Amino acid sequence: MNRNAKTAQRKTPFQKQLPLQLFALAGMLYLFIFNIIPMVGLIMGFKDYDITMGFQGIFTADWVGPKYLKEFVNDYQFPMLVKNTVGISLLKLVFTFPLPILFAIMISEMADGPLKRLTQTASYLPHFISWVIISGISYHFLSSKGIINTLLTRLHLIEEPIGFLTDSSKYWGLATALDMWKETGWWAIVFLAAVMGISQEMYESAKLDGASRLQRIWYITLPGIKPTIITVLIMTLGNLFGGGLSGSTFEQSYLLGNTMNYEASSIVQTYVYNVGLANGRYAYATAVGLIQSAISLIFVFGSNFLSKKVAGSGLF
Amino acid sequence: MKKARIKKSREDKILDPVIIFLSVFCIFITLYPFYYIIVISFNEGIDASMGGIYWFPRKFTLENYKNFFTDLKWLKGMWISVSSTVLGTAASVLFTVLVSYALSFQELVHRKLYMKTVIVCMYFSGGIIPYYALLKQLGLINNYLVYIIPGALSTFFLIIGTNFFADIPSSLRESAMLDGASELKVFGRIILPVSKPFLATCILFVGVNKWNNWYDCTFFIQNKGLRNLAYLMMQVINSTQISATAAASGASSGATTTLSVQTAAMAVAVVPIMCVYPFLQKYFVSGMMVGSVKE
Repeated sequence: MNRNAKTAQRKTPFQKQLPLQLFALAGMLYLFIFNIIPMVGLIMGFKDYDITMGFQGIFTADWVGPKYLKEFVNDYQFPMLVKNTVGISLLKLVFTFPLPILFAIMISEMADGPLKRLTQTASYLPHFISWVIISGISYHFLSSKGIINTLLTRLHLIEEPIGFLTDSSKYWGLATALDMWKETGWWAIVFLAAVMGISQEMYESAKLDGASRLQRIWYITLPGIKPTIITVLIMTLGNLFGGGLSGSTFEQSYLLGNTMNYEASSIVQTYVYNVGLANGRYAYATAVGLIQSAISLIFVFGSNFLSKKVAGSGLF
Repeated sequence: MKKARIKKSREDKILDPVIIFLSVFCIFITLYPFYYIIVISFNEGIDASMGGIYWFPRKFTLENYKNFFTDLKWLKGMWISVSSTVLGTAASVLFTVLVSYALSFQELVHRKLYMKTVIVCMYFSGGIIPYYALLKQLGLINNYLVYIIPGALSTFFLIIGTNFFADIPSSLRESAMLDGASELKVFGRIILPVSKPFLATCILFVGVNKWNNWYDCTFFIQNKGLRNLAYLMMQVINSTQISATAAASGASSGATTTLSVQTAAMAVAVVPIMCVYPFLQKYFVSGMMVGSVKE
């Protein structure tokens, strides 16, 4: 407004940064609309809300208190959903977490050359492929007429095809194994970087002292990457019941779950989708989702607390 | 060279072959499934449903691809996927880069508040139902723009980008500013050219995410004309999985089956990714480390 030089010098720091502030504020506005508002919308889980009321209806609808929470806890599916959600997450933690460490050590023990490069490059590929395609591939490999059952039958190892995709007792294993297949190479990147960071001198002097290769892995490599292992473990714990829409447990459950393995494959998030978007019980589904969010919240803060204690710095 | 080679110990003589075997095994189980799908996509569908094909097509045909590329449903899905990937990635990368550039200035007023907001948004969400209600209110349900607008700012890449830009020496920017360049000019002429690793990582990830995206279409699109490739594939996969004898019953026309056309679709969806990611490897490997191992 006032254009003379004196006032220009008296600009506040904010005004001086105006172009940058505009970028930042545009970003904040966007996050407010697409992230914060839906978080506020969670209150619909305590309200008598229907989608026909529009978004503002979330605020004007009548309060019903924890009615829907109670309904969910008393639902006959509740124990099954909780068991599957927790069980699959823990199984994945136990099996998919250590494998990238072993894989990274294997890569680091390989001589430089085309084989090493090919192993690494190939190992990243599944990470970039969507679960839709992976579920399609698993159909070709694991269905009753799939390549694995055909092979096993021809070798007379089995009489009847194994119902990898249809048998409830197989689902947890299937989800974990596919996760291992998809993400091992990817997570190994972090551990491999840590292995590379260990000084070569330590290996050389251990060699002079007569340490064998396995001893060097055990006494130098593993302790050397321990801080990274702890950091990644804490991050993984924080995401253990990760509520995100595209978390692999949800995608797997949605894409590989079917009426035959429902008993083992349905988790809280797929239930939220089914009763919410598919059946139109919006408020009830939100309340159910809220339980999952609350548990995730505890895990995120808990792991952050641990991270500060153990590694000295948290994520926030 | 031969002389320089250190003599192998007995342990090496055992360990090296074991490691080579393991790595070949890893390569095999990783790549073979994709190879198999490509082989089946070049084989007659009815013949393939009888099994026994492992390495090469038994009855070679291009019918599956012909069917795929002449079926209006698949073609339309392909167009939606390609266009939304290109537009969505461009919008998202541009927006994310600009915001993270701004947030990388330590002296930015309210910076702490901004960063806290980003972190809260990264870890917590309202879940799918309130999100759906919001999109409905904004008129994005059954709207092509749902592929573009809601994902336009990635909180994960905001954090990585902020760290990345903060590492660029501030003297670069300051000297250009002294020469009278505007903020946008500095950004375009000086900052962007040195940000290739971050841009490449960002484009790869956002692009692959958009290309693979099936849930936006599943949850927010009912209009048949707006369905993308990933969704159409999921539909075929789901319908074949439900009926146990699907491979035989899915016969559509001639020697192709729904399942064999689906393998062609899967190959079409996977091949672009296979062609792109090896070349961006060095970028995403370093990007991944910035994101996860914060010292």
